[in-house]
Amino acid sequence: MTRTQRLNPAWFLVAPLLALVAVMFAGPLVNILWLSFTDPEPGIANYAALIEKASLQKLLWTTLRVCLITTVLSVVLGYSIAYAMANVAESSRQRMMLFILISFWISVLVRTFSWIMLLGRNGLLNNGLIELGLISEPIAFVRNELGVLIGMVHYMIPYAVLPILAAMQGIDGRVLQASRNLGASPAQTFWRVYLPLTKPGVIAGALLVFILSLGFYVTPAILGGGKVLMVAEYISVQVLITLKWGTAAMLAVLMLGSVLGLLYVLSRFMKLSAALGGGRT
Amino acid sequence: MQDKQFMRETVTEAAHAFRAGRLDRRSFLALCGMAGVALPSVLAGRAEAAAGEIVMWNWGGQSEECHGSAIGAPFTAETGIPLKFDTSGPLQGKIKEMVDSGNVTADVCDADLFDAVALGATGHLEPIDYAVVSKDKTLPGYALEFGTSIILYGYAFMYDTEAYPDGAPTSWTDFFDVAKFPGMRSLYKWANGSLEAALMADGVARDALYPLDLDRALARITAIKDSTIYWGSGSEAHDMIVNGEVSMGMVWQNRGRNIEQETNGRYKMVMNGAIAMPGAYIVPKGNAGGVEAVMKFIAVSQSVDAQLGLFSCLGMTPTNSEAVAMLSAEDAPYAITSEANMAVIALNDPTWWGQNTDAAVNAFLEAIS
Amino acid sequence: MGADPASGGLMLRGLVKRYGAVEAVAGIDLEIRRGEFLTLLGPSGSGKTTLLMMIAGFQDATEGEILLDGQPITATPAEKRNFGMVFQGYALFPHMTVRDNIGYALSVRHRPKPEIAARVAEMLELVQLQGMDDRLPAQLSGGQQQRVALARALVFSPPVLLLDEPLGALDRKLRIEVQEQLKDLHRRVGTTFVYVTHDQEEALSMSDRVVIMRAGRIEQVGTPEDLYTRPRTEFAASFLGKSNFIDRDGRRFSIRPERIDLLPLGAGRSRGRVLSLSYFGPLLKYRIETPDHGVLEVDVDAWRGGVALAAGAEVGLDWTDEAAMPLEK
Repeated sequence: MTRTQRLNPAWFLVAPLLALVAVMFAGPLVNILWLSFTDPEPGIANYAALIEKASLQKLLWTTLRVCLITTVLSVVLGYSIAYAMANVAESSRQRMMLFILISFWISVLVRTFSWIMLLGRNGLLNNGLIELGLISEPIAFVRNELGVLIGMVHYMIPYAVLPILAAMQGIDGRVLQASRNLGASPAQTFWRVYLPLTKPGVIAGALLVFILSLGFYVTPAILGGGKVLMVAEYISVQVLITLKWGTAAMLAVLMLGSVLGLLYVLSRFMKLSAALGGGRT
Repeated sequence: MQDKQFMRETVTEAAHAFRAGRLDRRSFLALCGMAGVALPSVLAGRAEAAAGEIVMWNWGGQSEECHGSAIGAPFTAETGIPLKFDTSGPLQGKIKEMVDSGNVTADVCDADLFDAVALGATGHLEPIDYAVVSKDKTLPGYALEFGTSIILYGYAFMYDTEAYPDGAPTSWTDFFDVAKFPGMRSLYKWANGSLEAALMADGVARDALYPLDLDRALARITAIKDSTIYWGSGSEAHDMIVNGEVSMGMVWQNRGRNIEQETNGRYKMVMNGAIAMPGAYIVPKGNAGGVEAVMKFIAVSQSVDAQLGLFSCLGMTPTNSEAVAMLSAEDAPYAITSEANMAVIALNDPTWWGQNTDAAVNAFLEAIS
Repeated sequence: MGADPASGGLMLRGLVKRYGAVEAVAGIDLEIRRGEFLTLLGPSGSGKTTLLMMIAGFQDATEGEILLDGQPITATPAEKRNFGMVFQGYALFPHMTVRDNIGYALSVRHRPKPEIAARVAEMLELVQLQGMDDRLPAQLSGGQQQRVALARALVFSPPVLLLDEPLGALDRKLRIEVQEQLKDLHRRVGTTFVYVTHDQEEALSMSDRVVIMRAGRIEQVGTPEDLYTRPRTEFAASFLGKSNFIDRDGRRFSIRPERIDLLPLGAGRSRGRVLSLSYFGPLLKYRIETPDHGVLEVDVDAWRGGVALAAGAEVGLDWTDEAAMPLEK
């Protein structure tokens, strides 16, 4: 085979696009990596700060904790919703899907302020509870970590529901009948057959939620009342206000690296394309 | 940055050619791709700014309208140069990025005077030409090499009159005393103003705040952390108060009057110990409209009419003492540098903040999070 | 290894399944004897699968009751009935190995691990899948999957095994082989088999008794021989094997093609002209047009027929009185 034969001419057609992607996408990424090792001065000082500075460790721990709890709650609640959707009549399912999608389309800012209206010190719920005499002092639902979790879980649930629902709808009902027929109780059927068969959807949903949570900015900033500082907001402050671009770049590299690392680890256990496509393995 | 500068010029030339019809769209896009420049930034940015106009980079909302009527109209009438706006908010990081990228799309930024100190030192700003701009039309010490203060805003606190029927809080000392004045508080999230307030509460005199004693201030702030929530924007500060989330809340002083009116006087602003912030006009290095035109623009904004216009429109206090003197008795209390207020307020030191923002903000964030 | 020989007798009484106005099962009374191989045979829509699902407990009866060894089980949920079942398409657990699939019924009953292991090994041997323990269903051929499904359903020695078209997914050659294996398996385990199919050959070759179903009702029940030689209705006669129908004295009779003899013209009860013939190995199949009974099909043993008759030849036709089975109206 000659060289020209091996090179598919189609490559010439996509070459400009590839070049564009390289310049527009890879370029900035390389630039960030470069910054993380050169700003303010060349070296690994930005990365060393991860070990030396307790404030950065606290920041990362807060981020990790909030993201993990968000992921677990979103997946558990999302699973329940998806289960209900998978087991109702088609018309009800479509109505439920509409509700899911509507909440998808509401801007994050609007939701965040709605939560404050609803759950704030002077919000609907607290006022209602005080009115009923159930509490005497308002409960701090928002402007703290609980508020961040409520806001984030609410935002993330649709991302958990969709892949899980796809996995559930892919299950052959006869397999579940087979389990019952073989003497398994409904609980046994769920834990030993239904849940394992929906695992790809659960993993895809969890992955999606976790990765999106890592980049969350508006919700923690507002519902956290300033006290729940997560990486995305911190990066933005370092870029825009304190001009510590090296620190910001280092954290961005760290985030990107974590996400890629997570995907790599998962790819060793399962077919990632199946998980991200929400299909069955 | 030399090569970026070159690429930017190439693409800008191409943009002109494209607009004039000398270059077809495909070649223009290809050129942009080669130069690694996003198309919108070329078309909307430099190419636009190059057309003999002044682009003001501000925070949008009301300020676009107010700047346009108070300064833009007289400026255009006088020079024939139109004023346009970029409302994405000229944060230090964005200005730095713009100048570094070589694609300077703004001529004048509605920023803080401490930005002038920080970015001037790193070579990102054009120096102010005090042959055109007057040092006398601003406060002493607020006409700096790379920026001059045009208006003042500031930090003050408001309290819920119904929460404290037996005696209203009157100072930052009361604000930080949750035993005597129970209830939730709010403070600004990015340290500015909050640190000064904490020090005054701790007994530091209003004219002896700088250099700020960070540890002392943060100790005061963390002491009431459980009763404090923090805001990052003016609208958030506003909402925290009108939604009843806090009993005492720090606000941007120029917004206090609106909140008093909106809540029918239930919330009242306390000017004692308010911290005056010098807002400044600064010019990114290599601005497209040229230094001469933009200096003229800044000079116009110092005029009494322009300054009074900004006060009535945005609540920002004039720096020009002549303008302050013309305020009515009803307006004067809300001008942070009125004669009466000058006796009780603190003045922000832009030099200290210009040099210490990173340390102060990060220490503050660590303390509150 | 076999099931409890004292159990496995089923009694269906007045079973009805209604979906709105549609009666999928329209009143079934049937006794299924302990240890027998009973086939529900019928075209699609005849209610045979619905009936099987009612026996399994996946469908509630609208009316009627089901008794196992004299005890009513109509209200017993599927998981408590202890019936084995082989599903259409097998419904193996795709995420479990062959071993875990087969051991599932014991494992959900919390049986000790060594017992499960021993029993699984026994079942693997029974269905000749030794060494396949660790495979996943997707790594098996269709025939192997079918055997795993059988082993999985039989592992807990159920008194009754329900089979829903278990050979449908197999190719023809394999199907015949598996029919033999199933019959053999039935003999060895002694469990009552209730088998649903629309394939008459399967029904005839394997069953002790066949239930022909039509439109939710039982058309006829009997041994394969009974049904073949003494069909009571036109539907039964034509659904099981080929049949000629002749009318005489106001009644309709069924005559199987092999029960008609070809004679020289002039002899026999009737006469006709050969329309066509086809050669089917041991059989010659003729289509003969008669003046009084329309077109009749006649099968002749190829080895006995001597020289084949050509199309257009005139022949005499004859059959015995016993060969003509009177049908119900």
